[in-house]
Amino acid sequence: MAPKKEPAKKKETTATASVSAATSAGTTATTTASASVSKKAKTPTTGQKPGATTGGDTTKVVTTQKKEKVKTTALKAKQRVTRGNKLTRKRKIRTTPTFRRPFTLRLQRTPKYPRRSVPKRNRLDHFAIIKHPLTTESAMKKIEDNNTLVFIVNIRANKPLIKAAVKKMYDVDAEKINTLIRPDGEKKAYVRLKADHDALDVANRIGII
Amino acid sequence: MTRIKCTDLRGKKPDDLQKQLEDLRQELNVLRVGKVTGSGGAAKLSKIRSVRKSIARVLIVTHQTTKENLRKLYHGKKFKPKDLRPKKTRAIRRLLTRKEKSIRSAKTKRKQWAFPRRVYGVKA
Repeated sequence: MAPKKEPAKKKETTATASVSAATSAGTTATTTASASVSKKAKTPTTGQKPGATTGGDTTKVVTTQKKEKVKTTALKAKQRVTRGNKLTRKRKIRTTPTFRRPFTLRLQRTPKYPRRSVPKRNRLDHFAIIKHPLTTESAMKKIEDNNTLVFIVNIRANKPLIKAAVKKMYDVDAEKINTLIRPDGEKKAYVRLKADHDALDVANRIGII
Repeated sequence: MTRIKCTDLRGKKPDDLQKQLEDLRQELNVLRVGKVTGSGGAAKLSKIRSVRKSIARVLIVTHQTTKENLRKLYHGKKFKPKDLRPKKTRAIRRLLTRKEKSIRSAKTKRKQWAFPRRVYGVKA
């Protein structure tokens, strides 16, 4: 249908181009839609002929109007094809009386500038955690008998931090750590070493004899 | 140990400074153990102070060079980190800028141009 019409309308080139575009858009879709497009395309074409006969300027005005109309009809046809011929949207079935806020897009932060130019340095690093070992008589006894070392430790340190610090500083693995806070406000940590380490050797290495 | 000077430290690379920092902190640790065990003697005990101050110097130099480099990096950019912006006072930061204060409407500009303040002198 389209190629037959084209050579007849080559006089009004703009209109024909739009019509052929419309009809080609129709042909890409299903047959029913294309039939509807062709029907709609026919009406402007019939309108053109009387317009062409009247005068030079009027034909131009007519053709641009028709062009827009044809274009919109073609677009509508295309839309109808994609969404079906019903104009209303399908309503969602709600099973509860409450309306819960649907999940919306949550974007990650992409700051334009860091708030702090330099990130804070960790003030509780392993040097700061272990202050010094204890060398009292009871501490010595612990070293000999229980394979434990006794340290005075930063009060803000917890057991896992103490364990990591001891490992980093003295290369020993701790079996368990017991902590207490002394009456003078300092934290004491009893670090029991694993069986494969000897507390006495480690103590010698550190400097507490 | 010879006295660590800031001028010497400023020439060093950041990796060297980090290494020096670690060495100093190890030394401090040893000194503190010595203090507890009672082994040191007066010389070692007084050394604690100098080591602490040296550590401070290294940290100062590290921080200052980092900050300086960051300022260079952000120079001329529209958005800077807040600690690189001028601190002044909270109130001053919220005042109108000089440019904002100097804005005049077209009407006032025309008036000022058309009717400027004249200065007269009375002839004696």
